Amino acid sequence: MSLSFLAPAFLFGCLAAGIPVMLHLLRRERVPLVRFSDVRFLRRAHVEQERQRRLSELLLLALRVGAVVLLACAFAHPFFGYVAELNGSATVVLVDTSFSLSGPGQQAEVRALARSAIDAAPDDHLVGVVAFDEVARVVAGLGGSRSSARAAVDALSSRPRGTRYREGLAAASALIGARPGRVVVVTDLQAAGWDLGSGSVSPRVELELRPVAAPTGNLAVVGLEVEPDSTSIVLFQVGALTGDTTVSLAVDGVAVHEESIRLVPGRSTLQFPIPLPPKGVAMASVVDPVGYPVDDRRYRLLDPPPPIPVLIVIGNRPSRASFYMERALAPGDDRNPFSVSVVSTVSLAARPEILEEMSAVVLVETLGLERQGRDLLASFVRGGGGLFVVAGAAFDSDLVADLFGRDTELGLGAPQTHVDPITLVPNDFRHPIIQGLGSLASQLSETRFTTTFTADAGAGTVIARFSDQSPALMEHEVGTGRILILGSGLAANWNDWPRRRTFVPFLHESLAYVADHRVTPQEFVIGDGPAGMSNEPGAFRLAERPGYVVLNVDASESDPTPLSQERFASAVDRLAQAAEREAEVTAGEQEAIQRMWRYTLMLMAVVLLAEGWLGRRMMA
Amino acid sequence: MPSTMGPGLSSLDPALVARIGSLELIARAVVEGFLTGLHRSPFKGFSVEFSEYRQYLPGDDPARIDWKLVARSDRYYVKEFEEETNLECHLLLDISGSMGYGSHSVTKLRYGVFLAAALAYLMHRQRDSVGLTLFDERVVESFSVGSRRGHLRTLLSALSHARVGARSDVSKPLGQLAARLRRRGLVVLISDLLDEPAGIIQGLKHLRFRGSEVLVFHILDPAELTFPFEHAARFEDLETTAQVVAVPDLVRRYYLGEIDALQERYRRELGLANIDYHLLNTARPLDGALLSYLSTRGRRM
Repeated sequence: MSLSFLAPAFLFGCLAAGIPVMLHLLRRERVPLVRFSDVRFLRRAHVEQERQRRLSELLLLALRVGAVVLLACAFAHPFFGYVAELNGSATVVLVDTSFSLSGPGQQAEVRALARSAIDAAPDDHLVGVVAFDEVARVVAGLGGSRSSARAAVDALSSRPRGTRYREGLAAASALIGARPGRVVVVTDLQAAGWDLGSGSVSPRVELELRPVAAPTGNLAVVGLEVEPDSTSIVLFQVGALTGDTTVSLAVDGVAVHEESIRLVPGRSTLQFPIPLPPKGVAMASVVDPVGYPVDDRRYRLLDPPPPIPVLIVIGNRPSRASFYMERALAPGDDRNPFSVSVVSTVSLAARPEILEEMSAVVLVETLGLERQGRDLLASFVRGGGGLFVVAGAAFDSDLVADLFGRDTELGLGAPQTHVDPITLVPNDFRHPIIQGLGSLASQLSETRFTTTFTADAGAGTVIARFSDQSPALMEHEVGTGRILILGSGLAANWNDWPRRRTFVPFLHESLAYVADHRVTPQEFVIGDGPAGMSNEPGAFRLAERPGYVVLNVDASESDPTPLSQERFASAVDRLAQAAEREAEVTAGEQEAIQRMWRYTLMLMAVVLLAEGWLGRRMMA
Repeated sequence: MPSTMGPGLSSLDPALVARIGSLELIARAVVEGFLTGLHRSPFKGFSVEFSEYRQYLPGDDPARIDWKLVARSDRYYVKEFEEETNLECHLLLDISGSMGYGSHSVTKLRYGVFLAAALAYLMHRQRDSVGLTLFDERVVESFSVGSRRGHLRTLLSALSHARVGARSDVSKPLGQLAARLRRRGLVVLISDLLDEPAGIIQGLKHLRFRGSEVLVFHILDPAELTFPFEHAARFEDLETTAQVVAVPDLVRRYYLGEIDALQERYRRELGLANIDYHLLNTARPLDGALLSYLSTRGRRM
């Protein structure tokens, strides 16, 4: 942590410290001349007094200079931050440690290039080392020691993670701060590293690239899909690999299939008519003699996910709508994706703890839902829960506005009966619910709606509309939770949807989506998993939940296709100004929080008081 | 009764004369017991000159009646005599640069001039012979002793033209005077004594050893005695032009200690040598100085 200034130009005001020095000297010369008969005794006394006076004068001068410097510092808005110091120049070596540099011989080349970059740094430069893949970390802070920087480079190795140039450049920029200097990037220039956004450095920083040669080719397993009666393995091949290779499939470490295949450039899917057991960890692997070892295998958890706990809130007694809903969510076989509980609106208020176990709540009726129950639902959603509202016959149209009006700006009107039934039309085919329906999405239009609620989606998203263009399925984000609102009931006099093929898949997709915030996934990409997870691909147990989770590498990292140096450099330059602004915003935020200028001014006032007291004492 | 001297005071100011006159009345009481008073020489001198007759008045000493004249004229007359004494009085006035200092209208030199003039006048009235030496680091002007009225005028003229000189060296004129003295007399030193005390004391002791009565008037300005300055200043020595920047509050205590120590040294060492030492504040009237003179003269005679 170092002291920095938001407006360092004001530090030139420190030059004004020369003013008190001049005044000090001039004032000394203006001491009045008094003719006296004999100064012998004064001179003797002066020996002692002169020491005190000189000390006092120096102290007085220091106080005056200090007051001016403090004033200049206050205007410069000082703050303590992690922004690097302004003095001098620096060279930051940015080393790519993603697994796209784990090919044969690449690590040695990375270290050699990084060391040569350190050695080539000008003598007057401070040198630092930043390693990056998906995240960046400073492994050698700015300093004059080249040996410590070289030692940091020697300790680096590639990790099974993807490339994020944005992260690396941001860390290098933060380390180099506002000073001039160079950022030397040791990388394979992988194009996939720019997928999640461009990076930026200060315009005062010179960017130098030291490219590492990509392997001659790479073969990776980038997908493993399990169907009830078959298994698909997705391969990605690039480079000079030709001929055949061996693909293996294993469950819990036991080989279940092995096959020699002919390599196909690019992405290819191999489908094997091999059903896999319902439980266990499947692993698909290939033999790749020239590429990255870490992406030669991929894991898939065969265990069905634990059912999503869903609570259906009904009125005082079960209705037809709730019946349809309960049957659709819990059809009764062994692989129910949901565990369904039903509670009346009155009982909900009496059993608030029941919501703690739920991932989603389906609100079918609102009759009997008093203030306490409404508040419970509101806090449930804001805490990350999902709420699926089915606006049917016994539904209070003011409920949503009452619970989330300020957040959703949603307005439900009165029920509207259609003499000529209307249908349902997807509004956003990219929405996960619609995508989850797959080919069934086109059959949504077969549903006939005779009664619907008029609605205004407000700030929410309309996923589907009725054929009269009024919103049919709306989504709102509230707090960390999510609300889905269906503008029609499920009773027969409202629509015929429960009898349609799309009804059950729609409900499943909708509840899986709305409960997403409270469902822990079973598969992670390395680096995105819960804290404390391994950095190696494989299957692992988590302490806080039963069963396994699997870790795989980022499939996009398997493509070593590089950018040209010019394109790489241009990607950085485009956002150089933005990076500067971002750095200023960050510094401004730090300064605004600390507000050290106030304390600086207070200190200056104290210094001035001391100066006044000492000055009066000296002139007395 | 202390009072400050008026700015218009000069060596022959009538007011000063009047004050001296009052001192004569005071002196009369002092001398009555063993001296003949201010208007008569205290000595049965070597040279007594007849002045005039006057009619005997009750209270006159019958021994002074001229019986021959009584026999001739049958009237009682007493003789009046003008007597010359053998007292030689040497006035030594310091006119060095430091004597030019004054924090008010009268500098130490002017004060010394007043004092010397008053003493000369008083001595002349007493028919004493008086000489004058003006000195700084050397003898600037010197007048041998004399008792004639014209001599007094010469001395007063020299005093009125006295100007501030160079650096002081008191011991040098003291040595020269000691070498020149042929008779015991009274040596009056008027100076601020801001010189090396050892040399001054040695010279005065030498004069005393030669049999002369020595009277020292140590003249100091009130500012020298109290150091009343308030603000920091660059103090310049009137003699050497040396400069010292000093903050009065910080040096006052030391300075006053030193000036007190200087006075005390003169008072102690001169006292041991039977030399009268009197500190004169230029803000005070000359009465005290004249009384001191009369006292010393009375003891000497």
